[in-house]
Amino acid sequence: MRRLPWIFSILIVLGAVLLIVPGAIAAPQPIGLATVPDRAPQPQQPQPIGNDTCLACHSNQSLEKKLLNGDTLSLYVNPDDHANSVHGQAGLTCVQCHTNFDQQHVQDPAKSPGFEANDRRDVSLKLVPLCASCHADQAAKANDSVHSRALQKGNVNAAICTDCHGWHTVRRLTDPATKKLTQDSRVWVPQTCAKCHSTIYAQYKDSVHGAALVSGNPDVPTCIDCHGVHNIGDPTTAAFRLKSPELCSKCHADPTIMDKYKISTQVLNTYVADFHGTTVTLFEKQSPDAQTNKPVCFDCHGVHDIARVDDPQKGLDLKANILKRCQVCHPTATTNFSDAWLSHYIPSPDKYPVVYYVNLFYSVFIPGVLIPMAILVVLDVSSVVRRKLRKQKGQPKPPAPPAAGASASGKESSHD
Amino acid sequence: MSAVNSAAPATHGVQVVRFFARFARAQRWEHWLLFLSFTVLFLTGIVQKYRTESWSQNILSTPQRLVWVQSIHHVAAIVLIVEVIIHLAHGFYLLARRKMPHAMFPEWQDVKDAGSMTKYLLFLAKRRPKYGKYSFEEKLTYWFLFFSIGIMVITGFVIWFPIQITTVLPGSVVPAAKLTHSTEAIVAGVFVLIWHLYHVLIERLNLSMFTGRMNENDMRKYHATEYERLTGESADTPDQGGQA
Repeated sequence: MRRLPWIFSILIVLGAVLLIVPGAIAAPQPIGLATVPDRAPQPQQPQPIGNDTCLACHSNQSLEKKLLNGDTLSLYVNPDDHANSVHGQAGLTCVQCHTNFDQQHVQDPAKSPGFEANDRRDVSLKLVPLCASCHADQAAKANDSVHSRALQKGNVNAAICTDCHGWHTVRRLTDPATKKLTQDSRVWVPQTCAKCHSTIYAQYKDSVHGAALVSGNPDVPTCIDCHGVHNIGDPTTAAFRLKSPELCSKCHADPTIMDKYKISTQVLNTYVADFHGTTVTLFEKQSPDAQTNKPVCFDCHGVHDIARVDDPQKGLDLKANILKRCQVCHPTATTNFSDAWLSHYIPSPDKYPVVYYVNLFYSVFIPGVLIPMAILVVLDVSSVVRRKLRKQKGQPKPPAPPAAGASASGKESSHD
Repeated sequence: MSAVNSAAPATHGVQVVRFFARFARAQRWEHWLLFLSFTVLFLTGIVQKYRTESWSQNILSTPQRLVWVQSIHHVAAIVLIVEVIIHLAHGFYLLARRKMPHAMFPEWQDVKDAGSMTKYLLFLAKRRPKYGKYSFEEKLTYWFLFFSIGIMVITGFVIWFPIQITTVLPGSVVPAAKLTHSTEAIVAGVFVLIWHLYHVLIERLNLSMFTGRMNENDMRKYHATEYERLTGESADTPDQGGQA
């Protein structure tokens, strides 16, 4: 106990040395590994470097730099890009993202370059972690995405924040009032994904959803409505496949969206009630990673090239088109076979009358048979019980000699 | 047969019980086949029918298990079909030899029996109707299941081999067969559970389908006409009169 103050004094001295000495040695170094900036702009920094200071050099279109691999990197920044961006409008300054740059860089940029990068992609990869300092939630989600996993496996071209959002031109995507994506942003989403996924985009833009999106429809899904926004999952897994009917039904079982287009909201119910759908739903719940070839929505309706069912070429209203889908798994199926699937219809006298009348028959037959049968059984029970009671009343005391023959020898166990 | 009198009390409490042959060995074997295949089909069937219920989903939790349950169902179906073929072949054999027993066929008397039995159960009649070798209840059981199984076999084949069936028939027979198969199964299952099992287990323990024989008392009470035909005696013995 007495020694404690002594230990404290040593610790204080050590702490002071650790604070002062590196400061003295490392003071001239750039603050490349420096602290993460706070969310809010920090006007009370010791020597704030204004945007004007940066733009004094960086608005020069010929400003460039040789990277370690010999490529040149343009260091030109269009002042309007940042000024018009959501960050610029919020008053953020260059150094709040480019934290590696300080007065040393201003005085001698060649000597204090901020950071070195091997190539242009390396520049982006080195800068992009800074997004997380303000947008931590989104960054955390993105870290869980298929893109992030590809990056970790060494695919440097896997999408990072700036690939989708841009850098100096970062735009506002949501309506500040509703916090929902603006229609412009929604149209912009597939175009953004198309930068890498161009083949899929080509299919999507002509699909029933893609075409409607461009014409201003606010209800159709864009890429992110199905694939997720930052935590984009791997759509090739068994789990994604088994979960997909739920995904489609988010909109297709919602009458507030579907009624406008006179599309049935029974599509999920009717799917789940039929052979394939029942099994898919079952596996989705019990073994979500199970591989199954049971069809889900997109196996028949298309993945990205989803067409209207009454589309004259691709529509599933055409028997030939639906048969083609059947034959993927049932290669010997013939024309009639496709009618074995109720096509999301609920049987009625017009649609699938055979099924309708079978159902009608049983709804009469079952009560018609089982109720009289149950009544007879109940009557039988009550009759046995009442006759026994009556007998006991009639014979209050059993007579001394037992009624011969009425009761059983060892061989007979049951007789009343 | 009439020489033995079971009703007379023996001096030292020894009682002689007469038994009447009821089911031949082959018939009892057929019943075993039917019983086993029907039970397996019913159990594996309801698991598949109620795939949306959680108890069923716990059983059918993986694709492998689903295949297992379906395979067991198919094997049991084949056993049942074999039994149906044996049964029908035997029937046709008897028919061809003009030896088909008449006792199993429904007749007008059964309708009258059903009426008088209902009266008896409602205390409108004092006596239980006299039945022949097979009561109307037993004939109903047989013929109800005869047609139920027929429907199950036909519709079962349609949903087992939909591709082959739809080369001949329209596609909508497949969902119709599926609906019929799963609904008729419930009808047949409930019928067996309520009607058949009540009559052979609860109303009285009637194991004649397993032992092949029936004792005299049961013959008197439940198959009076047949008893009288076989023995030439009246089924109403004095000491049994009250209980009928």
